[in-house]
Amino acid sequence: MEREFAVKAKGVIKNYDNSRALDAIDLEVRPGQVLGLIGPNGAGKSTLLQSVLGLLNTEGDLEVLGLDPRKDRHKLLQKVCSITDVAVLPKWMTVEQVLQYVDGVHPRFNLEKANSIISRTDIKNHSKIKTLSRGLVVQLHLSIVMAIDAELLVLDEPTLGLDLVYRKDFYSQLIEDYYDGNKTILISTHQVEEIEGVLSDAIFMNQGRVVMQDSIEAINERFLELRPNQDSLERAKSLNPMHIRNELGREVFLFEGTALDKLTGLGEVRPPFIADLFMAIMDKTKSKDQR
Amino acid sequence: MKVLSTLIRRELQEHKVGFIYAPFIVTCILSLVVISVYFGITNIQTPEFNFTTEIYENERALEWMATADSAQITSVIRSGLVVLGLPILITVAFAILAFSLSTFADERKDRTLIFWRSLPVSDLTTVMSKILLVTLIVPLIVLPNIILLHLISLLSASIFFTTNDIVPFGWVWSAYSFTDWFRIIFSLWAQTLWSLPLMAWLMFAGAFAKRPIMGALVPLVVIVVLEGIVLKTNYLFTFIQDRLRFWTRSSDFPIQSEEIRVVDVTDIYLMISAQHFWIGMILSAVLISGIIYFRSRNNDYSSE
Repeated sequence: MEREFAVKAKGVIKNYDNSRALDAIDLEVRPGQVLGLIGPNGAGKSTLLQSVLGLLNTEGDLEVLGLDPRKDRHKLLQKVCSITDVAVLPKWMTVEQVLQYVDGVHPRFNLEKANSIISRTDIKNHSKIKTLSRGLVVQLHLSIVMAIDAELLVLDEPTLGLDLVYRKDFYSQLIEDYYDGNKTILISTHQVEEIEGVLSDAIFMNQGRVVMQDSIEAINERFLELRPNQDSLERAKSLNPMHIRNELGREVFLFEGTALDKLTGLGEVRPPFIADLFMAIMDKTKSKDQR
Repeated sequence: MKVLSTLIRRELQEHKVGFIYAPFIVTCILSLVVISVYFGITNIQTPEFNFTTEIYENERALEWMATADSAQITSVIRSGLVVLGLPILITVAFAILAFSLSTFADERKDRTLIFWRSLPVSDLTTVMSKILLVTLIVPLIVLPNIILLHLISLLSASIFFTTNDIVPFGWVWSAYSFTDWFRIIFSLWAQTLWSLPLMAWLMFAGAFAKRPIMGALVPLVVIVVLEGIVLKTNYLFTFIQDRLRFWTRSSDFPIQSEEIRVVDVTDIYLMISAQHFWIGMILSAVLISGIIYFRSRNNDYSSE
């Protein structure tokens, strides 16, 4: 039977000593989605991903691939794999030892496939992890993950600290060689613009809450960005944009639920970048809170 | 089984210096000392321990060697070899204590814990692999070193005795019991089980304390002092002292012996049937549960 949800959360709460990292999170992720978690530092993205992996104890209902990650972490991790900025590969190990280790403990790991992926990189099997650059370590981690036949991949700031070339390679390799349309991928990153093209869905988070969740397709239909011509400024303003920002001395209007034909002819119209939309929603939320 | 053997192999790869290289180096040094003594290059004479070929200049010693029966020769050889092997055991004991204290602390400190826990291995399996390593596997690694030292010692002695016309070459070998190898391994396993509460305590401290050394020592010192002041007893101190000793020399062992003696198989039965052994095992089980609990919650450091 095909599973309806890869991840389903209802009222998930995570408290630390003096703060609430997750504040009653509701979330539904369907199999095959590539979901981006977008939010500032402290939004709760990493906490949510670690909860999905069963690395944190949370309150509320949380189901990942039909299992409760808090109780069935061991079973769950046979179907889930992850790369997180905080998960450090053991520096004392050689590449070969890491591969042998994963092969020994993971029933869905394909050693031949991992070796074949690694052979296309600059990583040498006998190299110690501590001698590899940060970029090569991430590449090694990605090679391991790509050789695991997992249903869900969790990426938490996987490219943090990498230079532009490695970051681009990472996502192109991920989508071209790994994603097959059935796998579900959860990605959290600060470099939103780099993953924008690969996402099928996005979640905006702030202060432990989900501010918005929708598919990229729906977002592109719902929101439109207008760079109005000088003579159309007043007309554009009269259409009640949800947010106005200034970009190099020029006003940019963001509309929600406004039909494309109403904006056509007023200037340059296009779907907003995710990062710009997020900033607009944050500003709107902030001004609502201030009121 | 594949998972468990992979975990143990990983531990041995990480701690090869303490568990493989160090005992082997000590074995090599001891072997060199033995060879040097028998070849007249050096001798060891301390108030507690004499290892020299000068005793073979003594008429009475030579007479004893000529007339001793097999059981007497076996007894002397065994005692000598037990003492000779002690430095190897002490080296490994230090390696085990250091491993116990650091193994769960290091994975938190260098953040490899998240990587280990991102793979489908339960905390119970991981913890048990470390317990199995120190109780079962490390003694198996130590055994070949002890055997090597025995064989080199016997060969050196045989060559010395033959070339000096003291006794024939086979004199030593006929009295050496090869079944002692089993006796040694069972004795080492008994020792690791006897000392398990201490190892489990150190692992527990490593799993919960930010500073493992302080976490291991401070609670014990406080309890020992409080027990002395309030109850006027020293149960905990005696318990720790006993578990650091060879199990046959602990105050709870039914047969008391001042000297280090060769362990008999029946001794293991005596230990297993003693109440104190089982108290230690129950305490170890409680501590192991604590280690699993803390390890499963050690991810709660996230800043987000």
